[in-house]
Amino acid sequence: MKYYLRLGFVLLVITVVASGILAYINGFTEPIIKENQRKAKEEARMEVLPEAASFDSISFLNEEVVYAGKNNEGQLAGYTFVASLYGYSSDVKTMIGVTPDFKVNKIKIIEQTETPGLGANCTKPEFQSQFEGKNETVMLVDKDGGEIVSITGATITTRTIANSIRIGLKFLKEIEVQSEPEEIHREEVTE
Amino acid sequence: MSDVYAVSAAPHIKQNISISSVMWQVVLALTPALLVGIFFFGIQSFLLTLYGVVAAVATEALIQKLRKVPVTISDGSAVVTGILVAFNINSAAPWWLPVIGSVFAIAIGKQIFGGLGFNIFNPALLGRAFLVASWPTLMTAGWKSTSPMALFKSSINGLVNLPSNVPAVVTSATPLGVVKALRDTTQVSADMAETVMNNLASMDTLQNLFWGNIGGVIGEVSAAALLLGAAYLAWKHIIEWRIPISYIATVLVLTYIFGGINGLFSASIMLPFFHIFSGGLILGAFFMATDMVTSPVTKKGRIIFGMGCGILTVVIRLVGGYPEGVSYSILLMNITVPLIDRYTIPRIFGEVRK
Amino acid sequence: MSVIKEFTKGIVKENPVFVMALGLCPVLAVSSSVENAIGMGAAATFVLVFSNIFISLIKGFIPSKIRIPSYIVVIASFVTIVDMVMEAYVPALHKNLGLFIPLIVVNCIILGRAEAFAGKNNLIRSIFDGIGMGLGFTLALIVIASIREVLGAGQFLGFNVLPVTFKPMLVAILAPGAFLVMGLLMGLMNLKKK
Repeated sequence: MKYYLRLGFVLLVITVVASGILAYINGFTEPIIKENQRKAKEEARMEVLPEAASFDSISFLNEEVVYAGKNNEGQLAGYTFVASLYGYSSDVKTMIGVTPDFKVNKIKIIEQTETPGLGANCTKPEFQSQFEGKNETVMLVDKDGGEIVSITGATITTRTIANSIRIGLKFLKEIEVQSEPEEIHREEVTE
Repeated sequence: MSDVYAVSAAPHIKQNISISSVMWQVVLALTPALLVGIFFFGIQSFLLTLYGVVAAVATEALIQKLRKVPVTISDGSAVVTGILVAFNINSAAPWWLPVIGSVFAIAIGKQIFGGLGFNIFNPALLGRAFLVASWPTLMTAGWKSTSPMALFKSSINGLVNLPSNVPAVVTSATPLGVVKALRDTTQVSADMAETVMNNLASMDTLQNLFWGNIGGVIGEVSAAALLLGAAYLAWKHIIEWRIPISYIATVLVLTYIFGGINGLFSASIMLPFFHIFSGGLILGAFFMATDMVTSPVTKKGRIIFGMGCGILTVVIRLVGGYPEGVSYSILLMNITVPLIDRYTIPRIFGEVRK
Repeated sequence: MSVIKEFTKGIVKENPVFVMALGLCPVLAVSSSVENAIGMGAAATFVLVFSNIFISLIKGFIPSKIRIPSYIVVIASFVTIVDMVMEAYVPALHKNLGLFIPLIVVNCIILGRAEAFAGKNNLIRSIFDGIGMGLGFTLALIVIASIREVLGAGQFLGFNVLPVTFKPMLVAILAPGAFLVMGLLMGLMNLKKK
């Protein structure tokens, strides 16, 4: 009995020391990690919507905040949201900047583990730039009758990205068009 | 694959056949398909096949030299592998594609296991799987183009009388590509999908499929030429009916039940025939699934093997990510061969069932 | 056996990957690029050296009945430290290696060396054993990753090294490529030994 208590005690000492060290290190790495993640998202937002100077959260989509960006004069510069759908072998997450008239300003793939050499080519700038200026109605792969040119050999990935963006644009339009009549009304009153 | 190779109770009858006579007859049986390939895709298909064969034979000789075992290139087995690898390549492929495919098929697919008779997988299919994983775009992109030197240009997807307003989705290079595209997309109306599916199963399309007037790889397009070769092999007792027939029958039944796009049994009665004659099914069922080394030796086992290939092929075609599943289904079933053999050994005469 | 021998044995003669076939999961998973291979090798070597140091120091106090759980606690602590520090200071590399950092805990090289070596030998020898084994592991990873990255992407450490006309052999950076390259290298090593 006494022997087993000793075993337990030795294990206890080892785990206590280990968790103490880990707690100490976690104490100074955690804020840095949090800061890194926040910065990465902020940089992605700034990249897809460079006209905006400040961002206000307006809704949630795919467990991420949807932002409305305002420029230096306080006017609406556009929106950003994260589109996400399951592609060929992973969730493909895309940060999207949207102009006030609901066209894509710029996109940036922020998370994917698609097949290297095929689907993973979606991170190439040549691919991402083709989304710029496109609205919801043409946000379809060319094979589906839209204007998005598929990556060779990776139609599924391309389709996933186009579809996820289309869903996001639709969602954005719905929530924003609802609040619009109010603004128009207000303008009429001030006139 | 004649009955003489089956595991059976004594007395065993021996026949005077050798590996080399079998292999050279397989080469002869594959010739009609090659001629059709040349007819539709040009002399390029002959050159690609030649490159594949030369590479396969050279690799076999080199590795056997290195392994210090007798060089057996004259038995023709490397020639068959080379032809089959090249048959899985489209006529617009670069020259090095069949070469690398054949080198891989012989070196990794066959010699590493100890040479002919010891390989687990069909070497040619392994070579094809390697090429598809390595250069997926080269393996699939050239289906559309027919060489300018071709005697007769094959029509791309063999579809006839299509309404002019079908969306771009139907421009896929092969008939099976069209089926896959229809299943994948949400942008085609039900009516349109119905029309396209009916066209796929129409008599005119089936005729194109049968004679080989479609896009595809060198050796798979003409069901007629392949069946001619298969009939010769069956007549010579080199291939035996159980694997191909159970394979094709399974595909026929399953595509009739599940092949339609509006639920069970919605397919037209012609659709199963479309599935049988399109893609590599005829080539695979008669020339690859029946590979003596990588298929079961018992009669019951061969039927199980064929049915397994059929089920996997239909699952990949109708549900999976690829338009065609013949090569992967045969490779997957190759792994199960030792198990199938083990559970289907016939009882010894007089043995009592436990 | 001299200390130098403890160091060099891990690199070729008792190479953990090619000879002992230990820790193959990370070898197969993160050897698709040389950069990842170096990152993984460094992380594993760090854990290996420090767990060897600690275990050889505390081996006198640990009753043999609970040595395995104790070793695992020590190893897991160091892995967690590496994981947190990497995420804080090299987030890009941490994102690439992802899941495989926590999995160093179950890398059999580390527990294997703790059990087979550090638990029986003194501090100096254990340090050299850890460094040697870690280097052997890292070298093996780099060799496999070099072949895979050059063939599969036409690159080395992210720089194009092959002519543009070279069509990358995609399979090399996919999972089957890892098995093929490792199997062929192991075969070559065995051939040479014969």
